[in-house]
Amino acid sequence: MKTLRVFLLLAICSTAVSAQDVSARLAGRVPPEIAALVHQLATSAAARGLPVDPLIQKAIEGSAKGVPADRVAAALRALVGQLDVAAVALQRAGPALTDTDAIAAGAFALNAGLSDRQVTALARASRPPYSVAATLRVTSTLAAMGVPAADAVDLVTQVIASGGATTEVLGLPAQVMSGVSHGQGVTPAQAAAGLARAAAARANAPGQNRSHPGKP
Amino acid sequence: MTMTDFHPQVKQLLDGELTLADLPLELRAEGEEALRLLAAVDREPVTFPGLDGRVLTELGRRAKAPGFWRRLRLRPWTLVPAFAAGAALALLLARPIAPPPATTVTVRFVLFAPEAQQVALAGTFNQWDPAATPLVRTGTPGVWAATLTLPAGQHQYAFVVDGARWVPDPGAPAVDDGFGRRNSVLSL
Repeated sequence: MKTLRVFLLLAICSTAVSAQDVSARLAGRVPPEIAALVHQLATSAAARGLPVDPLIQKAIEGSAKGVPADRVAAALRALVGQLDVAAVALQRAGPALTDTDAIAAGAFALNAGLSDRQVTALARASRPPYSVAATLRVTSTLAAMGVPAADAVDLVTQVIASGGATTEVLGLPAQVMSGVSHGQGVTPAQAAAGLARAAAARANAPGQNRSHPGKP
Repeated sequence: MTMTDFHPQVKQLLDGELTLADLPLELRAEGEEALRLLAAVDREPVTFPGLDGRVLTELGRRAKAPGFWRRLRLRPWTLVPAFAAGAALALLLARPIAPPPATTVTVRFVLFAPEAQQVALAGTFNQWDPAATPLVRTGTPGVWAATLTLPAGQHQYAFVVDGARWVPDPGAPAVDDGFGRRNSVLSL
């Protein structure tokens, strides 16, 4: 019983200090009404296992850009919605994949134009040594570059299936950018399609060992 | 043609305010040339070869060090200081602490803004502070640059021109910022 009291005390102290941390990060950077809203949303989000850092960042960003408070509030609520959808999408792929970093990356992927089903598909494909968060971020970056979301998902999953190194997955945006820069009128979608075809050919090549994918 | 000779609409293209499709037909070729010049700027991330290997070697060495904790035995009277130490540790962990050393990448940010008096960089890596990371003029007229070492991962950012105008990086992918504008995205 005494032990239980000690742990309860520790839990209360921990929550209080976390709230102080949020306050410290927002102090002098956002209006009081936005700080209060972030507190409320962050407390609720943390209780559901969602990351709170994206909320703090979004509040600071909105205020730095001089965005009216009501619009910052709307953006914060929309972001909480994306974090919730991302968490559910990752949960579908496997409970072990639902860490806060992956959820934040999933929310970013949704913002970049991926669907929740595509987030689930990428998480399922990202077995170790591939990181779910990194895979989601790479795919969202490709989408932000102008590669259609379905093509971006296809490219990343093809490279993973072909046993490409983790560094190869991380380097895909640079490869697509290079294809656009050096090709005559090549679009990001065309550059990504070319890389996906090459990865698919490599995956289907005779003697391809797919039992140990993801050379580091 | 020098970079300062571009048509004002082409400069807007370089600032990310217009797309190539927005330009009149007679300016498209000039716009493509300007984008080609911008793309030619070296913005490849600088990596540190061998860093991962050295970190893994050090981790392996530390893991093989003598196991003090394996020899530790708890007696009933040790529980009081143990709880005190636990409480202190919990409070310490609840405070913001420096994350473990992560892989860092050095990146050069470049913006062509010939009319600007000052240009800065604001993003997730500096708490969106428009005063934290000023760019400096390079030897090329109108070109501003800054070199930063950032932790690996994903960062969102924008240039801040003359302290007021938020401009996405025309050479980087961008996403909706939730406020009706665009943030540039950098994945390292």
